[in-house]
Amino acid sequence: MTLKNLATPKNIIGIIAIIAFVVIVPQVVQGFAMTIINVALLFAIISYGVSIMLGMGGQLSFAAVTFMGFGAYFIANMSTGRLGFVIPTFLALLLTPIVFAGVAFLIGLVLLKLKGTYFTFSTIALVQVAFTYFNNFQPLFGGPDGISGIPTLTIGSYSFGNDLTAWFYLICVFVIIGGIIVERIRRSQLGRSLASIRDNETAALTLGVNTYLTKVIAFSIAGAFAAFAGALWVMHGRFVGAEMFNFLNATQFIIMAMIGGVNSTVGIVIGALLVRGLPEFFRGFQGYMNLFWGVSIILLMVFMPTGLAGIKDVIVDKFRQFRVKSRKGDDDDATNTKA
Amino acid sequence: MSLQLFSTLFINGLAMGVVYAMLAMGLILLIRAVGILNFAQGEMFMFGAYISAALILDFHLPFFAMIPVAMISFIIVGLIFMFTIYWPLRKASYAATTIIATMGAAIVLRELAVLIWGAMPRSMPPLMQTPEGGAAILNIGGTPLPWQFVLIIIVGAALMLLIYLLFEKLYIGKLMQAACQNSYAANLIGIPTILTIAATYSIVSILVSVGGYMVSPIFTVNNTLGTMQLQAFAGVVIGGFGNIKGAIIGSLLVGLIEVFSTINFSAYRDVSVFLVLIVVLLLRPQGLFGEKIADKA
Repeated sequence: MTLKNLATPKNIIGIIAIIAFVVIVPQVVQGFAMTIINVALLFAIISYGVSIMLGMGGQLSFAAVTFMGFGAYFIANMSTGRLGFVIPTFLALLLTPIVFAGVAFLIGLVLLKLKGTYFTFSTIALVQVAFTYFNNFQPLFGGPDGISGIPTLTIGSYSFGNDLTAWFYLICVFVIIGGIIVERIRRSQLGRSLASIRDNETAALTLGVNTYLTKVIAFSIAGAFAAFAGALWVMHGRFVGAEMFNFLNATQFIIMAMIGGVNSTVGIVIGALLVRGLPEFFRGFQGYMNLFWGVSIILLMVFMPTGLAGIKDVIVDKFRQFRVKSRKGDDDDATNTKA
Repeated sequence: MSLQLFSTLFINGLAMGVVYAMLAMGLILLIRAVGILNFAQGEMFMFGAYISAALILDFHLPFFAMIPVAMISFIIVGLIFMFTIYWPLRKASYAATTIIATMGAAIVLRELAVLIWGAMPRSMPPLMQTPEGGAAILNIGGTPLPWQFVLIIIVGAALMLLIYLLFEKLYIGKLMQAACQNSYAANLIGIPTILTIAATYSIVSILVSVGGYMVSPIFTVNNTLGTMQLQAFAGVVIGGFGNIKGAIIGSLLVGLIEVFSTINFSAYRDVSVFLVLIVVLLLRPQGLFGEKIADKA
């Protein structure tokens, strides 16, 4: 991809929108709302992993929440001195994705021997087992009380502390880097192999794609994303408890990705902001908010199965059907919705 | 372990196993009929408990008047569920959309229950009561067995047997199976597939909601009852996907494993169930009793 290819009108608008978002938000938003936006952006990084597994590879995995937990507890143990030693927070943060890409690779080697729905069930089992340990195993995970007093991120002599705006900029940097990585993967051999597995695994196998290894690599990339975001999350919130990592929250990341559009990097960020932001924004109607939320998930799946990012395709599709009713059937090019 | 403790735990585990089996059987029936993995199964179960609690505690219906009213409301819930979650999505091209929609339905049911009946857990009277109103205990040879557990096993087993016979032996069940296996061909020979699917949803709703009603005296009626569906998922996979007998046996195993592992490590009882699940998946992905079938859901 050369520079010339990058300078399309669409990309330029996108870049301007991103810059506007990064510049305007800290001016307008302060305090608690800033915390919500920061957490939402961190969760967008986790949903990138969902995008790689579900959007590219067609594998429904609930494991993201568990790897987020691994990352969070890793930082909590490394930087509070619970185990008798302390690693500088910045070094620990850099170690997290590397360590847990490895861990996810090993777990993936085991779980991805299973296919389709069986794999999904095995990730549910992983989430349950990990949650039980997070909630009960005192020495590593602090048991039901969780671990508090986690030091904040310090780079060199600069400490992020409770400066939410500084955190916002830092998280934005990682969201953008993560987005670039995801887009790069989508266009790489790995991305195309994953897409072939999603569309037809048998055909991919006959074409010489090592489907098993490809899926394991995707799983470990997704795990690294989730662990890294978990590490940032725990240094941002300074506390980690097991409640965050139960099965209900595991579904949240899938919903984020699906609402935004599972194959759209920007859509995922928007989806994450909506999922985390709307319930807080409408706190006044608290009782009804979750209900409204569930209903809108269903409606969205019925009317826009490709998420908000697919809204253009849906409208274009409807328009085209309206215009040429007779030529139905050859409008299957624009969308990548087949799974 | 004394024989007395063993038999108490065994009945307890078996009762929980029967509850999971009811959830699991509902899951399998839905997968066979419409190919949808229902993540709102546990919430339907919870909603059944809430409806029966409302009929008993709010409307003070006598037991025999409550049963038909409850059945009708369960059927209505099942039909509403079908026409909102399944029917608009039956032609969805993306398999994950229907799964996400059932997750949305789970949120809706959970929140509706809280909105209608409040967030406080409601305690239900046990089916068999002592004269003072406590839970009655069945005494067999010096072994105390809570009646509620025994009743769960009897009612659950009877209900599942009835549904099994309906699907496997009766003419209408054959129609339903035909509609499941090839809905296009079934339509051609004049089977109204929409009716068979609606019947399946109603039956599943009744099965699952009765399960919710039966466990409610033990766990109280609250909106976390739905998490039991995870054990049912485990049971389905351990027993074999798409196979009713296997799913029931798998769920009974899950119930027994769960209860017996509380003896040694009560906090980690979920671990034992799900580790067994992972081991079974790795050694025998088709489940203990499953034949090799294509992955449908």
